[in-house]
Amino acid sequence: MFRYIIRRLFQAIPTLFGISIISFALVSAAPGDPVMKRTFDPKIKAEDREILRRQLGLDQSPVIQYITWFTGVTLRIGDHVAEFSNERSRCTYTALINMTFCDKGGGILRGDLGTSFNTREPVWERLIQKVPATLELGIASLILSIIVGVPLGVLAAVYRGSPFDYLVRFLSSVFQSIPIFWVGLMMILVFAVILGILPSNGRQTATLNQEFDLLDRLRHLILPSFTLAIGGIAGFSRIMRTETLEVLHTDYIRTARAKGLAPTNVWFLHALRNALIPLMTILGPAIVGVLSGALVTETVFGWPGMGRMTVAAVGQNDYPMVLGAGMFFAALTIIGNLMSDIFYGIVDPRVRLG
Amino acid sequence: MKKMISWLSPVVAGALILAGCVQPTPIDPSTVAAPTKEAAQEASGGAAAPAEAQAGGIWRRASIADAELLNPILSSESASSAVNAMLFPGLIGQDPFSGEFTPDGSMSESWEVSEDGLTWTFKLRDGVTWSDGDPVDAADFKYTYDAIADEKIETPRKSVLEGIESIETPDPLTVVVKFSEVRCDGLGNLGLGWLPSHLYAADFSDIMENDYNEAPPVSAGPFVFNTWTRDDNLTLTRNESYWEGAPNMEGMIYKVVPDPGAQLAQLQAGEIDIMGVQPNQLATAQTIADTEIFNFQDDGYDYIALNLANPENPQAGQDDSGNLIEQEPHPILSDVNVRKAIAHSLDYQTIIDQVYLGQGYQIPANVLPAVPWAFNDALEPYAYDLDGAKQLLEEAGWVDSDGDGVREKDGNKLSLALVTNAGNTTREDLGALVQDQLTQVGFEIDFQAIDFGVMVEQMLGQTYDMVIIGWTGVGTDPNDDAFWHTKFDTPGSGFNFVSYHNPEIDALLDTGVTVPGCSTEERAPTYKQIQEIIHADVPYVFISGGVGNTAYTTKWQGIEPGPWAFYYNVHQWSLSQ
Repeated sequence: MFRYIIRRLFQAIPTLFGISIISFALVSAAPGDPVMKRTFDPKIKAEDREILRRQLGLDQSPVIQYITWFTGVTLRIGDHVAEFSNERSRCTYTALINMTFCDKGGGILRGDLGTSFNTREPVWERLIQKVPATLELGIASLILSIIVGVPLGVLAAVYRGSPFDYLVRFLSSVFQSIPIFWVGLMMILVFAVILGILPSNGRQTATLNQEFDLLDRLRHLILPSFTLAIGGIAGFSRIMRTETLEVLHTDYIRTARAKGLAPTNVWFLHALRNALIPLMTILGPAIVGVLSGALVTETVFGWPGMGRMTVAAVGQNDYPMVLGAGMFFAALTIIGNLMSDIFYGIVDPRVRLG
Repeated sequence: MKKMISWLSPVVAGALILAGCVQPTPIDPSTVAAPTKEAAQEASGGAAAPAEAQAGGIWRRASIADAELLNPILSSESASSAVNAMLFPGLIGQDPFSGEFTPDGSMSESWEVSEDGLTWTFKLRDGVTWSDGDPVDAADFKYTYDAIADEKIETPRKSVLEGIESIETPDPLTVVVKFSEVRCDGLGNLGLGWLPSHLYAADFSDIMENDYNEAPPVSAGPFVFNTWTRDDNLTLTRNESYWEGAPNMEGMIYKVVPDPGAQLAQLQAGEIDIMGVQPNQLATAQTIADTEIFNFQDDGYDYIALNLANPENPQAGQDDSGNLIEQEPHPILSDVNVRKAIAHSLDYQTIIDQVYLGQGYQIPANVLPAVPWAFNDALEPYAYDLDGAKQLLEEAGWVDSDGDGVREKDGNKLSLALVTNAGNTTREDLGALVQDQLTQVGFEIDFQAIDFGVMVEQMLGQTYDMVIIGWTGVGTDPNDDAFWHTKFDTPGSGFNFVSYHNPEIDALLDTGVTVPGCSTEERAPTYKQIQEIIHADVPYVFISGGVGNTAYTTKWQGIEPGPWAFYYNVHQWSLSQ
């Protein structure tokens, strides 16, 4: 098992390298000029715009920009040692190839995701700041999806063909196809505006002293986590229904029944464990989804998580932020899939990792 | 993100309207021109200040985006500016109702200008201190502007130094600014917030990277910084040593609510006290209890830019020595009769009613009524006149000889591309309507809503035919030479992207902004003449002047909003009894 994990992690390195090239190429090819986006103002002179472009390194070719982003070293043709040497950047000139190399520190290679164009903060710090909010919402919605979706699916299978089964199937179809932003807005309309019983936005009530208030946090969590969980409940209940149906027709279930076990014991102790196996395959990606943030839900509910921050960065052409978040999510996806495989092996002893 | 916001907001507004079954009550913008302090006082419940201001309460304002940097010389976007305005003092104030520059609310007690218009001497207020007790004085102003000039400081604000020859501080309460040439719009450049120089290194080396940029330790405004949870909220508390008197309110909270629909829901739920209302939200906002809507003409306008030069061969307007470069004309739009025909083909009333939902008004030219001394009220906007438009096109030689509904001339069709930025539903709706209306007089219009970045690339690159776009925040000075002067016709970066060349306009623009003394009486005739010429030459088709709507709670008293400033007297607001 340990060797398997190590091997998979080593295999991830070329994957991440490839992702870094592809994502950088995509961001570079995207329309829009980050400098113009920040300075679309007739009062700002063209010269100032060029200074900004140079400072952000956007005057360089995409290849050199990539090398800088990846290694933390900038390259410029000619001797620019005097011009660019400062406290943050050590420059050396190589006469042989007529190039100046400036080590600005950082770079993906050194585990630095760069610095945001907008806030001048390290991307890594900004992502880490957002992890708790994203985890809070994601885990809450995942738990809701499982504790509501799994029993619904099992019961729908057990009572196959009953009105309850039809209702679960109908609702799961509706909730899987309904746009999540609409659900969110309707939740806000009903529970925050009309009934006025739950807050509509944010992670906590904004107060001057910002003290932690568990009850207030939970109240803020209810609407976004339910909104985010709706798709999961629908998905889990459908999968569980199908899998349970399959398991219920197997010999060992018939044997269990024949032995006179109580029906609930048969469903939840015998059938459920085997029906859960396929769930494990989607749980890995689901955990990744939880970590990378719920873009739409976070926006509608003003939830200060990673998803919303990434969407905002895309809109603002904040390249380092978008790329940094992309690399972060890519690494999470690789880890998530690995975890999924490991879980699978634990739940189903027939599957062996090697 | 903008796109997402724009497609979310109509849905929520629609949902809310459906839920409440309310009908909008249109606000006639013509009735709200040039608000006065008296009118504002009346709206806020009478001129009398509250008999006894009640201390306490927190004002919660919604913001689409979070602030980026709490440093007045490094930040340039509006969310940061809204916070910085509460913390950092400035040299120049602005009248909230007329928009004119005034010492009120600023660090200046008074100022005077030399006869040649080049030297401005500012007398500063005595006794004003930062919240740590250190005096706010001329050294702070000089430090701030010297910092902007320093090469270590990376900021798009460097243009505020344009034309400034020197800044001297003969004593702590006097600032003398010498300009190398008279620039009547230069005064506004002196209005940036000041850094507390006593907290920074003299060589400016600790400005770019400093924790103060996220948590300013001192303030000389009505509030002091308290907390900041990125992308969630930012809080300020009352500055007990504020020089105009400590505010009654305990503090102010900026809540980041990216979706306008969610903002409206929060206003309804009483979770925020103020928000900017979009036209499609107005009907719902009008039904919210204890809420006032401040309707005003803002300093922006929407227009269709017409490229006068050949989009296949964009050229600069001047060479390096300032000599004019002859432009290759646009095959269709270089003819003024065609441009006038476009202006006459549009049904402005329908556009304002249907696209702007009544929240707009037609303007004749490039200066808005919000700058009353320079606005040429003798000019009539172009009328909707289809027959006149057809006649102009025929005079220009464009006739529909083959009966297919599209006019031709010399074998070429009267065919133009029209673009705007996708996601801005107002502009997308406007584009569809313009396409429809121009088709009626024999144009063939290829309308596309494209990515904002691509549109800007086409526009500044001058490779377009027609673009629907708008200016916001054009300010109180009528000088807009960046849009019309040949020296700003530089493909890729200049804002005279219509390639408008008129030596008379160049000369008038140069004159208007360099009148010694800068008296409005002396400058006004020049700007009125500029408007006449722009109106006649139609480089832009002016569609609508901007109208803003701010919804705010009436649970506070003392709020007297002006179109140029909302928070100028925030220290006097108090919770209603």
